[in-house]
Amino acid sequence: MSDVTEVCWLTVRQLSRALVNGEISIHDLVNVFLARAAEFNPASKAFIDVYADSARAHALKLAEQPGSGMLYGIPYGLKDLIDIKDHRTSAGSAVFIDNIASEDAHVVSQLTAAGAVCLGKLNLHEFAYGATGENALYGTAVNAYDSSRLAGGSSSGSAAAVAWGLSSFALGTDTGGSVRSPAALSGLVGLKPTYGRISMRGVTPYSWSLDHLGILSRDVRDCAVILQTLAEPDLADPGSTNRPTDHYLSEVDSLEDLTGRSIGVPRQFFYEHVDPEILSATERVISFLEKKGATVREVETPDLNFSRTVSLTIQMPEALSFHMPWLEQRAGDYGEDFRTGLALGQQILAEHYVRAKRLMTHYRTQIDDVLETVDILITPSTPIVAPKIGAVEVETEGLTEPVGNAMMRFTNFFNTTGHPAISIPSGMHSLGLPMGVQLVGKAFGEASLLAFAHLINSQWQFKLPLPKIN
Amino acid sequence: MPKDKPTLELLRTVGDTFGAHPFSDEDLSELVEPKLGMITSFKDLMDELDQLRTIDLGALPPALEIKTKDSTSDE
Repeated sequence: MSDVTEVCWLTVRQLSRALVNGEISIHDLVNVFLARAAEFNPASKAFIDVYADSARAHALKLAEQPGSGMLYGIPYGLKDLIDIKDHRTSAGSAVFIDNIASEDAHVVSQLTAAGAVCLGKLNLHEFAYGATGENALYGTAVNAYDSSRLAGGSSSGSAAAVAWGLSSFALGTDTGGSVRSPAALSGLVGLKPTYGRISMRGVTPYSWSLDHLGILSRDVRDCAVILQTLAEPDLADPGSTNRPTDHYLSEVDSLEDLTGRSIGVPRQFFYEHVDPEILSATERVISFLEKKGATVREVETPDLNFSRTVSLTIQMPEALSFHMPWLEQRAGDYGEDFRTGLALGQQILAEHYVRAKRLMTHYRTQIDDVLETVDILITPSTPIVAPKIGAVEVETEGLTEPVGNAMMRFTNFFNTTGHPAISIPSGMHSLGLPMGVQLVGKAFGEASLLAFAHLINSQWQFKLPLPKIN
Repeated sequence: MPKDKPTLELLRTVGDTFGAHPFSDEDLSELVEPKLGMITSFKDLMDELDQLRTIDLGALPPALEIKTKDSTSDE
């Protein structure tokens, strides 16, 4: 390759082509990313652990047994909730500081079988609890576009690693928006597939009812490549669906003319208390889809003002149930914010928990009905751009709320419904920060969702400049 | 129906009586008067949960496996 520093910004498909054409070796490619991680991890705080030796050894082994497939030899990073055998899964917490995984998570097995090379474990909000990604143990992952701002969370390191050019793609988890929100704030693509579409076996749980494994990538096509590898049903995971997968990669290019297609815009709630520039960017995306022939229709969603309360009422008792064995032994090792959340879990009545789970069914049914009338829904991904590190509250168009609430305001509802949702870039804010739009599709309709997302993501008008790092 | 604001003493009693782990007064105080910006107060949460009680859910069950209209019986 003429300039190895360019390598870190290439898509998975471009990297794969460079490997196939012999422009770079797998070993050199892995070394490029490892060198970059060594240089920029102190500033980005993306990685918790870098597996330099095992990544190089894996690269050499792959070179000896040439394989095929677009992920063969491609370096990636893992949110440190996801197990990789013989390595620590700290979950971003002192509580799990000595927790060595005995098996690979199912998704790691799938990526390894495809020839992808794990570079290491990525930073996160302790046990994926918060949206800010602030972590007292490992520091706070930093936004690639402005080092005074958050990368987003809880998959903060996953977003930072891809946005800083330290990894070609990353896996994260999304319980209330923890993949989509950091993707939006960091200028990336972030997919939360349908609940059950990707196995969660070998992933430290936060809230079983709401946890989804997600993908952070440079563009939608890369996301389709990775989903194709990960979407295989896992009979050993009780939450995994056995529904057959689609051909995501072949269908991602299937949309050009949108005549006969319809877009639902739920302006109530999703257009309230939003940064005006983010709304304008969302409207530009809608206008583009309309010009492509789509019918745009305003749709009504359930009353979403309490959707965060419903989510919290499910999250905290489930988290408490998982953490009880460690809480009794190591309560002092938990961060103050997460321990308080667990305390909340103890006070919630069973009646409230069951009602919240029934409201999940109610919400899911209502969104199913809305999606009978339109192909996809479109909303802003977040009402704000990346907040300053350390900010506690944010004011947006007359509404003052905790920063974490704002970052998840438009995403957490779709964890309660389980529908697939993706955040893609919609433009740059005048503050020099990325903005994103969220598309929501029918249950298990990832192929169609990705096709709509790619149509937008492939337009120059919605491309973002690379961050100015150096 | 508005409820009285839960006190630290009440939360401590609930935890000590029914819970398996005794949370510290410091942790429980955050539920009474939040300062960390992570959660709303327990009182606000209870008020919102009370409002959610007014939604008629009929016999709707808790969330189960996701179905789609073209799902077959063995899915």
